[in-house]
Amino acid sequence: MSTSAGLPRRILKETQRLMAEPVAGISAIPAEDNARYFHVEITGPKDSPFEGGIFKLELFLPEEYPMAAPKVRFVTKIYHPNIDKLGRICLDILKDKWSPALQIRTVLLSIQALLSAPNPDDPLANDVAEQWKVNELAAINKVLTVLDMI
Amino acid sequence: MAESLEEDYTYSGDDDDDDDDADPNDYYGDECMEEDQEPVDEREPDPEYFEYKCLTVSEAKTFLQRQVEELCSKLKVDKRSALVLLMSHGWLIAELENRTEQDISNLLIEKGVLARHVPQAKRSVCGTSCSVCLQRKPRDEMKALLCSHFFCKDCWCKQFEVLINNGIASDLQCMAIDCHIGAPEDFVLSFLHVETIRKKYDKFIFRDYIKSHYNLRFCPGTDCTMVAQADKPQSKRVDCSKCKTSFCFNCCGAYHAPTDCETVKKWLMKCADDSETANYISANTKDCPKCHACIEKNGGCNHMQCSRCKHDFCWVCMGDWKFHGTEYYECSRYKEKPDIVNECAQVKAREALKKYLFYHGRWENHARSLELEAVTLGNINKRIQEKVMKNEGTWIDWQYLLDAAALLAKCRYSLQYTYPYAYYLESGPRKKLFEYQQAQLEAEIENLSWKIERAEKYQRGDLQNQMNVAEKRRQTLFKDFFPT
Repeated sequence: MSTSAGLPRRILKETQRLMAEPVAGISAIPAEDNARYFHVEITGPKDSPFEGGIFKLELFLPEEYPMAAPKVRFVTKIYHPNIDKLGRICLDILKDKWSPALQIRTVLLSIQALLSAPNPDDPLANDVAEQWKVNELAAINKVLTVLDMI
Repeated sequence: MAESLEEDYTYSGDDDDDDDDADPNDYYGDECMEEDQEPVDEREPDPEYFEYKCLTVSEAKTFLQRQVEELCSKLKVDKRSALVLLMSHGWLIAELENRTEQDISNLLIEKGVLARHVPQAKRSVCGTSCSVCLQRKPRDEMKALLCSHFFCKDCWCKQFEVLINNGIASDLQCMAIDCHIGAPEDFVLSFLHVETIRKKYDKFIFRDYIKSHYNLRFCPGTDCTMVAQADKPQSKRVDCSKCKTSFCFNCCGAYHAPTDCETVKKWLMKCADDSETANYISANTKDCPKCHACIEKNGGCNHMQCSRCKHDFCWVCMGDWKFHGTEYYECSRYKEKPDIVNECAQVKAREALKKYLFYHGRWENHARSLELEAVTLGNINKRIQEKVMKNEGTWIDWQYLLDAAALLAKCRYSLQYTYPYAYYLESGPRKKLFEYQQAQLEAEIENLSWKIERAEKYQRGDLQNQMNVAEKRRQTLFKDFFPT
């Protein structure tokens, strides 16, 4: 418990709940040496091009959390119009739509939902978004090649 | 001291309008004088003339307060509503005063001043756990906006502090998910106890007011807090009455007549992007005739091999090296059509670059001349000092030299900003006219600069005449090309 000394109650509570009642398809485990850093795994949602994939992410709670949004990044390479080559995610609640009432759990759920419903109209990776709009099937095939599933 | 001298000088009946002074009344004064002396000028208004005021922070606040009150009484709404409405409409009261009541209340809902539905008391009122920090709190520490989303005092305070430190002030909102109810100033201030953060909030709120205002602009001068106010926002010159920075009212960049804001922005971006690199590339490289890779020659031998496509060619004639060796030194013979070079698209790019460098070179050169002439001004001051000490005339007698230097700076500054204008001007009779006038202006400016540097050799009348000619040239160009 030494690592959690001085940690806000909010973070402790959230962590406990994440461990006790994990969300289906999502795991978030705090790093041993830093209770603000989480190793996250999201499984590709059913009926999405990403089904069958397991995506590793990193999540970091900044000093101001929950007044500032957590920093989240895909570590696994992914072909998605709202995620760039470095794994950065274009998601409104991680930016200006952040609310302190949101939690790690809700953020990860939103990211999972983003995998089910890519939004090529608000792209981060422009080339991917373009491909997604012009030829969705080809884009999905590309997803699978990146996943090494074809 | 200097000011009183200047006044004396103006009274001496000289019609040179040296408008270094930012006071708009002086502008006005000059105009009146010109009217008296040269009625011809009255028909064509000075295209640079612009009416504005420089307000201090407290004057600007009073002005804004008055506008809020005006809208309050016109629409019969409270101050907070009036403020939000004004900010979302550029403070144009005219756009709001004739709206219907329904319209206004819809706007207020959209802007988060009013709640869409009258909210019922939420569970969190009865419970005493704050959903942000997840801690139990006494009931009286739970606060909410009119949306009844209750959070504890500490969380509100932390939230506002974090956001204010990120520069967010006028659009602070409720912390609940997807709730857009805005936090009024008194609500925010009730949680801010640290003096520095209150000051910051105050500063940012004021900044947001000014930034949203159609006819108020911050002076862009370093650490300057003055606010310029114009009746009609136009891209005209404002001289800050406090820090003397002169800037364009519309874009708040450096004053850039006769070029317009868009063009000068494009130009400055272009300059920041590629001027130096482009310069070097143009001077030191050629493109591979086959793959157009940019090649820098790093040895004496003219037999080049492109490191990218392995194409062998001659640096001098840019022809294929294979055919080069068949006849000894073929490329020293003049050929009518060096077609390989001419055909490639890269030539066009180089042509464009050449054009840009032409204008950029002149732009830079005048900027440098302005700097050097500032040094000259220092020398003039020293010379005047010496002369006055030696009893060769009084300070006032030599004042005209300073006026000449000021006018030179003004003319040269305008000349500098004619180059971006010319760069983006399409070829045609208008460009020809522009370039003609530009050349005339340039010639007179150089004459003036020459005479100022050798002021001892020239009569005062001669110099003054040259000043008039230069300023007339400048005005002619402005009348034709700078929209009033």
